[in-house]
Amino acid sequence: VRGIIVTGAGGVGKTTIAAAIALSAADRGISTLVSTVDPANRLASALELSDIGDDPRPTPIAGLDACMLDASASWHRVIRRHAPPETAARLEVNPYFEAIANRFPAGQAYAAAEQMATYLESGRWDLVVVDTPPADGGLDFFSAPRRIRRLVGGRLLRWITGARLPGRRRLYQFTAAPALRLVDTVLGGPLLEEVAEFLLDLRTAHDGLSRRARQIERRLAAATVVVVTTAEPSPLAEAERFFGAGHAPQPAAVVFNKVLPPEWAAKPKRGAPPELAANLERWGAEALLQSHARTAFATRRGVDPIEVPWLEEAPTGLAELAVLLDRSPGLADL
Amino acid sequence: VAAQRLVIVTGKGGTGRSAVSAALALRAAASGARTLAISMTVSPGLALHLGRTDLAYDEVEVSPGLFALSIDRRQALNEYVHRQLRLPRRAPLGAVASTLNGIADTVPGIRDAITIGKVVFESWSDRWDVIVADGPPTGQILSYLGAPSAIADLVPAGLVKRQAEAMREQLDDPSTEIVITTLAEELPVTETGQALADLMGAGFIATVVANRIVPELTFAGELRSGPLYDAARLHLSLRESQQRWRAELPDGPELPYLFGLHTPTEVAARLAEELTL
Repeated sequence: VRGIIVTGAGGVGKTTIAAAIALSAADRGISTLVSTVDPANRLASALELSDIGDDPRPTPIAGLDACMLDASASWHRVIRRHAPPETAARLEVNPYFEAIANRFPAGQAYAAAEQMATYLESGRWDLVVVDTPPADGGLDFFSAPRRIRRLVGGRLLRWITGARLPGRRRLYQFTAAPALRLVDTVLGGPLLEEVAEFLLDLRTAHDGLSRRARQIERRLAAATVVVVTTAEPSPLAEAERFFGAGHAPQPAAVVFNKVLPPEWAAKPKRGAPPELAANLERWGAEALLQSHARTAFATRRGVDPIEVPWLEEAPTGLAELAVLLDRSPGLADL
Repeated sequence: VAAQRLVIVTGKGGTGRSAVSAALALRAAASGARTLAISMTVSPGLALHLGRTDLAYDEVEVSPGLFALSIDRRQALNEYVHRQLRLPRRAPLGAVASTLNGIADTVPGIRDAITIGKVVFESWSDRWDVIVADGPPTGQILSYLGAPSAIADLVPAGLVKRQAEAMREQLDDPSTEIVITTLAEELPVTETGQALADLMGAGFIATVVANRIVPELTFAGELRSGPLYDAARLHLSLRESQQRWRAELPDGPELPYLFGLHTPTEVAARLAEELTL
């Protein structure tokens, strides 16, 4: 079973590229699941699914299933699996738990990673394609399991809850520690108590959670990473961070999206209608900049980027996805 | 020079949030206002648009009258603790700092409150006429703006509660403006609509800036093949789709697509010329 992780900065077209890769694999008879974190249901429209959900379901394409990440649902599953039932029930209604599941970027990234690992392990598909939450240019996805491991096994948790006896009464003793008295002054006592209660509960899931996080880290390390970018400076800078980043696997491919034809940079022919000549000139300037940025990136990183053209119609349907695949040689080879 | 203003800029990733923040700050400084630009995230975007490779927690003057800083949440937390405990700014905190940082890492609301708190504290300083904050993405803006209220509700009494309430008042005050940057495309427009509704529900009013709008192209002739016509087709279809999505947005300023202009400082300078806010 193979995993492909499509990552990169926000707004570069990760979801579309992930859908195109999955479509091309399904077309070749590979049983494929595509999972997206995108909240705007764009993948749903691209796959002609009116209501895409948390559970993988078939698309109109034979051999292609799709689903969407529900970080909160994923966290509830995780906690029910790893914490004792009574604690799990308490955690599930804890406001900090909800905050970690939904708002903490690493929490969302961890849920996405956990889901990918679960799908890979299920053996239902030969290929699982996921796109990543945009936080930290996609790098959060790769560091999330380690950060969750640190959260549940970290010094803070051990200290607050007492290393050997995580008894509830401990909680009220620790206010005697001078450092924590200071913390109390700053944050207000009740807040700290609530946090400590939450951490105590989370600690019951520690062994299961950290073993699972390690498994996920191994799955991520074995997956194929595809970085999507445009030629604009900030997405490019985010893409650069995947090269030489210690905690993310080295990208197998870089996809440049919204590529303009370099030949547009040539001077318009004489006698061309002036309004069209002026238009070609401004787009030509853009095409030239793009081509410089692409070449510089390719040389610096020793990669041969896959180019996806800037299509007149934004790919929101299967027909457009097929056109995109057709006009982007290299995407189908991933 | 305008009366004191606090502008918080949000927007989906890739919509030009940092560029617009930099442009607003450049424009304010050019009008003679003592201006502070604040990056609320670790992204180097604002720094690059102001011609620096990075920014630090202590402000630097990036151009005459324009200062900039980047909020490192650990340092913000430390500064807050020093202020609370009335310690000298550089006094070491030791174990207290690592405990607090651990808690701030665990409870998202605290990090958000400390970050927005630093912005509000700066807005109370009489050193600045205008403060422009390059804020979090639209998906997180409400948790930042709502953090002081959340803290005020959690803490029963005392200094922290009073401060949180004062912050809430500042954020609710008409001198605080929220700007959402967007592109005229499906995803950003959908997200902007959601953010506007959420913000309105929490009592905030925001201005929407539509970025990278391509100009009108009028051509009555036949579109044949070749680069001249291909570029025209792309432009016309982009223009049509942008206008369609733009109609879904509330009225607000519009910024042009800057063809062939990629240097962040050039982009910020050009946008500053175009922006009237």
